[in-house]
Amino acid sequence: MSSTRKSTLIIENLRKQQMKELIASGKRLDGRLFDESRSLNIQVGVIKKANGSAWVKLGNTEVVAGVKVETGEPFEGLENKGALIVSAEVLPTASPFIEPGPPDEETIELARVVDRGIRESEMIDLEKLALVPGKIVYVIFVDCSIINSDGNLFDATSYAAVAALLTAKIPIFEMKDGAVIDTGKTKEAPITTLPISITTVRLGESLLIDPTSEEEACMDSRITVTTNSDKFFTAIQKGSSGFFTLEQIKNATETAKVKGEELRRKFKEMINLGQ
Amino acid sequence: MVQTRSLIDENGKRTDGRVIDELRDVKIGVGIIKNADGSAFIEFGKNKIIVAVYGPREVHPKHMALTDKCVLRCRYHMSPFSTDTRKNPAPSRREVEISKVIREALEPAIILEDYPRAAIDVFIEVLEADGGSRCAGIDAASVALADAGINMRDMVSACAAGKVDDKIVLDINDTEDKEGGADMPIAYLPNLNQISLLQLDGILDSTQFNSCIDNAIKGCLKIYEIQRTALMQKYFGNEKEMELKEE
Amino acid sequence: MQEIKRKFVIPGDKIIEGNIRPLGNALKSGDGIIATRIGIAEAGRDGAKVIPLSGVYLPRVNDIVIGKIKDHSSLSWDVDINSCFTAHLPAQDVFGRDFSPARDDMGRQLSTGDVIISRIATFDRTRDPVLSIQDKDLGKIPHGVILKISATRVPRLIGKRGSMIQTIEQATGTRITIGQNGIIVVSGRTDDGLNLAIDAIHMVEEEAHTSNLTQRIKQLLNVQEPTQPESDTKANNQEDDSNNVLNNGNENVEDKEHGLE
Repeated sequence: MSSTRKSTLIIENLRKQQMKELIASGKRLDGRLFDESRSLNIQVGVIKKANGSAWVKLGNTEVVAGVKVETGEPFEGLENKGALIVSAEVLPTASPFIEPGPPDEETIELARVVDRGIRESEMIDLEKLALVPGKIVYVIFVDCSIINSDGNLFDATSYAAVAALLTAKIPIFEMKDGAVIDTGKTKEAPITTLPISITTVRLGESLLIDPTSEEEACMDSRITVTTNSDKFFTAIQKGSSGFFTLEQIKNATETAKVKGEELRRKFKEMINLGQ
Repeated sequence: MVQTRSLIDENGKRTDGRVIDELRDVKIGVGIIKNADGSAFIEFGKNKIIVAVYGPREVHPKHMALTDKCVLRCRYHMSPFSTDTRKNPAPSRREVEISKVIREALEPAIILEDYPRAAIDVFIEVLEADGGSRCAGIDAASVALADAGINMRDMVSACAAGKVDDKIVLDINDTEDKEGGADMPIAYLPNLNQISLLQLDGILDSTQFNSCIDNAIKGCLKIYEIQRTALMQKYFGNEKEMELKEE
Repeated sequence: MQEIKRKFVIPGDKIIEGNIRPLGNALKSGDGIIATRIGIAEAGRDGAKVIPLSGVYLPRVNDIVIGKIKDHSSLSWDVDINSCFTAHLPAQDVFGRDFSPARDDMGRQLSTGDVIISRIATFDRTRDPVLSIQDKDLGKIPHGVILKISATRVPRLIGKRGSMIQTIEQATGTRITIGQNGIIVVSGRTDDGLNLAIDAIHMVEEEAHTSNLTQRIKQLLNVQEPTQPESDTKANNQEDDSNNVLNNGNENVEDKEHGLE
């Protein structure tokens, strides 16, 4: 059951005033323009025990994602495809408002939206990951741990998961005498496209991308849009209790396409350097 | 645990190339989680652990507060990608036990009476594990507590010693933990000379036991120097640089 | 007898040996006094203490603090004072002794998010701090840029008898209201003045423990040093950057820094 909750982060009215005055002149509290993202830093291959990993810093928001590959039974109805499971956990280190315990509705929504953006884009060609079709397939786990939260967990978590998958070294399994063995060799994941998520929030009449936690605390509504390398939309989620006009949705989705493409290029550069 | 294969070669080198009294590489970063009151990141061999301290802060629910001292809450948790096989994110019995012994290792060092009705939360997150993660967690937690400005009687330094190929060795790695003869983690208050965590997993006779404790304490003292350097660098680093400039 | 002037310490470090009185953030241990926190240790005939460089603000009676209204019950407002306890501002303090929840609308006076400057009227080990805004210059702060620094740096920001803060205010044409809890509100006529003041405040926060900070702040603010005979200038600098660097301007800090006494 989902219910309206008391706000956790209360923004001082002085700060809201300052934000309003700046927005009227096209600027934000940290000096950014409305369609400007914070600095993005991605380090890959940081967790050696994982098959793939990425440490992302988007402004002060920090997320670590790890890929672990095993073998197992395929999902029902998807017998000839490998399985992909994307999860996320907001660690209690991330902010004073997080309590340790089972994931709450916000965290579950976060994990499912990140999963959807990657799955629906078919970033990984799962048909290439069936070992014994119908019986044994590759199972790819992507787990994201949010270490520090300063807004826009949706995009930061998605970037971490995507970067980890992009640079993962998938162990090559083989069947020998009816048992699965690890050959010790690895291959790149079968990548078809690069999904990039862009989150926009509405504050009054203004649309701002990549919100900080202060901006999220003041927002009227939020929309997360994921596009693939063909600039098609693969996942959209409107979040928070407010509303958007049709015009605003068109604006936000258009921005997501443009910014998504910019980021896609930056991503590729960053990851090539990392390797 | 009875060993099945030799873990130290004829040149006295262990599975990771170390000699028997050698500590793995340890690096500590201070203040790396912006939202926390205190924090530290430790790389202890291949272990990668991040610790955040929030406190003193309000206790929720209120009835859990103590009237004469603060409540110390400690959580040791491993990320699913931190181990060889993927770990379910839900807390395991092992994590529950480790959370408890870590809390009991840190409590004697913290002056709980200075913060009645408040709570101090220590969150230890293991991003990559390779044997000795509870000790590494305590080492980082102690630094994070100091970073948070919490009143402490002493720092807490932790290290393990053990038995491998019938020899007493310092700082057990993952392979030695799984296949070796004994593993003994210790947490130690270096100035007060007090032991606040002691566990044994394996078989040791009296002589081996004494040797193990001595070795572990030596390891703790080495770690203490690393903790001190990390804190001094963060807080007084640029003061020293400025003094040099002014000379 | 031995005197310690500026010793960098971490918890557990021995400050001085002997039968000296432990003052703030110090503890008698074995044959001497040890530090219980990271900071700068000092010891002399009067005692040994550590000036801390980090730590959550712990409330002290009569401190002036800046807080934000979180919520209200029928009898008081809950105020976040950036500490480990929520503070309470009784409705009676604002409406008077004959306050009646039925007649007097609390939300109208102070609503969620409002910033107030107040005095800690009562606080002890058994209950949450209670605030009062009855004195002159206390109450809601209607305008200004709000920022947060570590409460441990506030004495240095104020300076001896307010010298540091006045230097910044005069050089930037701003008015700076400081809460002992590390919350600051800056108001000014020009954006440039405002931004320069904020930069100066951040510099003090980062370098509070260093010597010659006053000089560097004056450089940042482009303040001309008045020409004075050598000996006077030395005395001036010594006053501002004396060994009690972090304690300036807050004489009643001494014994109250250790815990919540």
